[in-house]
Amino acid sequence: MWAGDSETKILYVQTHGADDPGRSATPFYLAASAAAMEFEVMIYFTMYGPTLLRKDVVDKIGPKGDQGQPLRYFVEQATSLGVRLLVCQPSLELNDLSLEDLIDGVEVIGGAAFNDLAASSDAVISF
Amino acid sequence: MSEPSAPAADQVLDCTGLACPLPVVKTAQAIKNLVPGQVLELLATDPGVEPDMRAWSSRTGNDLLGITKQDDVFRILIRRVN
Repeated sequence: MWAGDSETKILYVQTHGADDPGRSATPFYLAASAAAMEFEVMIYFTMYGPTLLRKDVVDKIGPKGDQGQPLRYFVEQATSLGVRLLVCQPSLELNDLSLEDLIDGVEVIGGAAFNDLAASSDAVISF
Repeated sequence: MSEPSAPAADQVLDCTGLACPLPVVKTAQAIKNLVPGQVLELLATDPGVEPDMRAWSSRTGNDLLGITKQDDVFRILIRRVN
């Protein structure tokens, strides 16, 4: 699934969700920085992670609660630089979500694709 | 790092007051608007900007010409290479 446009590939994994806003933004910061360094970057949202991508969540929470930028700002900063966002179906089911509940552009993969991405990454960083 | 005659910048990018990762992100976007050989001058107050821009330049292959600091403001000159 890596496009191969960059020599360096980093896969971030986000397991925390909307009930823990303080853990919501850092993967997006780091992914945006990596993309700015011309790395190819993906973030895989599993366990509670997919709840961060809900259309009705990204404008309501941010890493500092009511202060500062909403999560949408950090998401769009990353995606505008080419960062791809991935979820898996069991994690959608865990959180009673469907792909339609999430912001546009999220891709669904499964365990085999995740492991293939991980095995072919230069780094896998999990939060 | 200092150099006797710093080249004049072709474009100035003011990131003072902006926190990580914005100086890196905006530099990456701004450098694409220059042609190879032109120089970007980044102004930033993020205290981590020096190691960040060294890493960014090293990874992207652009030339970091110099970093100076006056008061809280870092002035970073980068020449676009490719």
